Amino acid sequence: MSESVAPVITKRRADQDDAAKAAVVSVTSTTRLWRRFSLLLAPVLIVALALVLWFYYQSLGVGTTAQIQVSSALDWDTKLRPQLTQHLTIAFWSTLLVIAIAVPLGVLLTRSGVRKIGPAVLTVANSGQALPAYGLLIIFLALLGQGARTVIVALVVYAILPVLRNTMVGLDSVDRSTLEAGRGMGMTRLQTLLRIELPLAVPVIVAGIRTAMIINIGMATLAFLIGGGGLGITINSGLKLNQDPVLLVGAIMVALVALTFDWLGALAERFLHPRGL
Amino acid sequence: MAVEPKIRLDHVSKVYPGTDTPAVSELTLDIDPGEILVLVGPSGCGKSTTLRLINRMIEPTGGRIYLDGDDVTDVNPDQLRRRIGYVIQQIGLFPHQTIAENVATVPKMLKWEKKKISARVDELLDMVGLDPRVYGGRYPKELSGGQAQRVGVARALGADPSIMLMDEPFGAIDPITRESLQNEFLRLQDELRKTIVFVTHDIDEAIKMGDRIAILGKQSVVHQADTPERILAYPVDDFVRSFIGAGTAMKGLAFERVGDLDLAPFDGPNGNGESGAEPTGTITADATLYEALEEMLRTADGKTIVLDDSGEPAGVVELSHLSDALRTAQDEARRHYDELEAAS
Amino acid sequence: MDGLQSWWSYVVGHSDDVFEATLEHAQITVTVVILATVFSVALGIYVQSRPTSKAIALAISGIFLTIPALALFALFIPLVGPGNSPAMMALFLYAILPILRNTVTGLDEVSPAVVESARGMGMSPAQQLWRVRLPLAWPLIMTGVRISTLLTVGIAAIAILVGGGGLGVFIQGGLTRLGLPNSVESVWVGTVFTVVLGLALDAVLSLIQRLTSSRGLRA
Ligand SMILES: Nc1ncnc2c1ncn2[C@@H]1O[C@H](COP(=O)(O)OP(=O)(O)O)[C@@H](O)[C@H]1O
Ligand SMILES: [Mg+2]
Repeated sequence: MSESVAPVITKRRADQDDAAKAAVVSVTSTTRLWRRFSLLLAPVLIVALALVLWFYYQSLGVGTTAQIQVSSALDWDTKLRPQLTQHLTIAFWSTLLVIAIAVPLGVLLTRSGVRKIGPAVLTVANSGQALPAYGLLIIFLALLGQGARTVIVALVVYAILPVLRNTMVGLDSVDRSTLEAGRGMGMTRLQTLLRIELPLAVPVIVAGIRTAMIINIGMATLAFLIGGGGLGITINSGLKLNQDPVLLVGAIMVALVALTFDWLGALAERFLHPRGL
Repeated sequence: MAVEPKIRLDHVSKVYPGTDTPAVSELTLDIDPGEILVLVGPSGCGKSTTLRLINRMIEPTGGRIYLDGDDVTDVNPDQLRRRIGYVIQQIGLFPHQTIAENVATVPKMLKWEKKKISARVDELLDMVGLDPRVYGGRYPKELSGGQAQRVGVARALGADPSIMLMDEPFGAIDPITRESLQNEFLRLQDELRKTIVFVTHDIDEAIKMGDRIAILGKQSVVHQADTPERILAYPVDDFVRSFIGAGTAMKGLAFERVGDLDLAPFDGPNGNGESGAEPTGTITADATLYEALEEMLRTADGKTIVLDDSGEPAGVVELSHLSDALRTAQDEARRHYDELEAAS
Repeated sequence: MDGLQSWWSYVVGHSDDVFEATLEHAQITVTVVILATVFSVALGIYVQSRPTSKAIALAISGIFLTIPALALFALFIPLVGPGNSPAMMALFLYAILPILRNTVTGLDEVSPAVVESARGMGMSPAQQLWRVRLPLAWPLIMTGVRISTLLTVGIAAIAILVGGGGLGVFIQGGLTRLGLPNSVESVWVGTVFTVVLGLALDAVLSLIQRLTSSRGLRA
């Protein structure tokens, strides 16, 4: 699983030693160029990798000339397709739940009453980076038993940090004077939140969601460990059977899924900007 | 002029890559040892480019550059720059080094002994009016803008270069601090006698700082290069006239001192001079004509009393003295330019 | 509190194993981060003044970070076989981006006036780099190193799945014996010690960052 650092994260010099703020970033022209470049590079890479996988898969002669073990592990209808579906289902639901929990929580933690505990939450969130996904997954297994439901709960806990962090950072970085102006025009607090703060914070929140999604796709690779299925099964079969072809097909499929969804996330990030930003 | 110029620019040109029009076109200019030559001109005319050509921060695309008569157009630029002080508006102190370390930069590169370096650093900081014990250990962020530029000047003087290039050094500093930095710098220059090329877009700063001023137009074309007195008295063309702007004649008054005039006699406090009421304002003999004018205007007398060293009235300076002085300066300048023209 | 007590007695009872696994985990992490730092800083210096190379380098190292760890670990097995090696190679690729990005950003942020005056005093390009630009970018580079370290510590816990070692051994051990005595304790040991190792390494790096960054750069 990729514990992807939120892409927006570089930092202003002044914040150096502040772990919480280390997450906050100014988007320099470099990063902008780099991201535009990634946006173009990714589809090329994805198509190339997909072609490689396709030809490689064909060359293996699954179901015909390949060894029984390989044929059975790589069978599309009974193995790869259902695993892919499971994989995406897990990633989808956990990402959705993360959004449903983290965005409102982030909003709540930036309201004036509780604002003070915000930095503390961020600090804890940041030091959680060293938390091993593997360990977390097994702990939830011990608590909740086997199955996809357990996987989803573990993933939500694990991937909530980037969305929470970016929601708070995004809302906090909205210019005070913009808010004052809104209030001055007679908007209520709820109206300023819905019409000014949230729309302006959308790009940052979307970046966090993209990170969470990538984490979830990555962690879904480990779901097989606790009976949750997913493409991790194929990788693991390759390891267990000592069959490189199985290993490679599984790994490349996982990489393809991750790269594709990351690219979709990047597109969303690029086009979900409020006009005029 | 028998002296060899300290710096000679010989048909120097610079065309930046990707541009068609040269930023500096065929510039020829001699800078004498020990003088402050001010390059002044509108923004974008190529002043900085010209300055950066001298220490080869950028490479000329044509022409030759001589220092002390040696062609330096092709010598190692890093070696060259260690012999030339360079001060820029943004100062560019190294934020990760203390003031003392900043000032020691060039001596360190030249591998001076430690003792010699630290003595030099103290000397330089003293020279620019910063107590080495107070400021030596500080970091740049702990200085005001004016203090930082003092350090910038001290750092450029590090290895005692005989040439200093200064690109709008006081341009970003508030007017009051700028004034005192200018004055201190002129005092320092009285001792050091460096050859200085000083860039500014501010004609008043040019008049104040320059032994000579070169007024540059587009592409660093020299419209007029001369002493401030002559330029003010006799702008050679409309470009110069409009660049030096209004009040030219009055600015020219700042170059003559009351003591050098043939003063009208002072008739005593109750004297019956035919010119009417006695003046009430007083100035000293070393005041400039500009100051005399100001005093006349302030008292509305049209003249003012000049006091000698012991505070006794030595005579009276009148408005006609001032207009005569201006006329003399203009005549002198015209004669000078006529001679130049006749000679060529 | 019972759980905590039994957990602690498990740690004490297996202190040699715990120590060994922590040490191995630390070795993997430190080796990877040192190599990644040298590589990324050098690459960052090289690409910083070349916009196209810079964009390519950042984009590619970003792609590594997108690929799920188990997949990237597995991709190296056909090359080097199972064990710590495939894990370390993959971790190396993960560790590049934070350091590379911060190196580039740090160098980008050096004020042009500072570089101009360094050049104006006759510093050669190498002197400008070593005496001015790198020291100025250093605090930010160290921040990148810290991010990479935390990342590496966390992901290294699954090295066990590709035949490697480290604290993942305890997690794996707990999983295979789940339901038997001490299995949950074992998982907690792996998890907690991984986090503690991450925080400890981060504290050390934070100290190094402080000691090696000029006082003049502190906010
Ligand atoms: N690095 C550069 N590349 C291209 N053009 C430049 C560069 N630097 C300066 N110029 C151009 O050269 C001209 C002179 O610039 P400069 O010497 O900085 O003027 P000044 O210092 O008198 O304001 C301007 O038109 C400017 O746009
Ligand atoms: Mg300029």
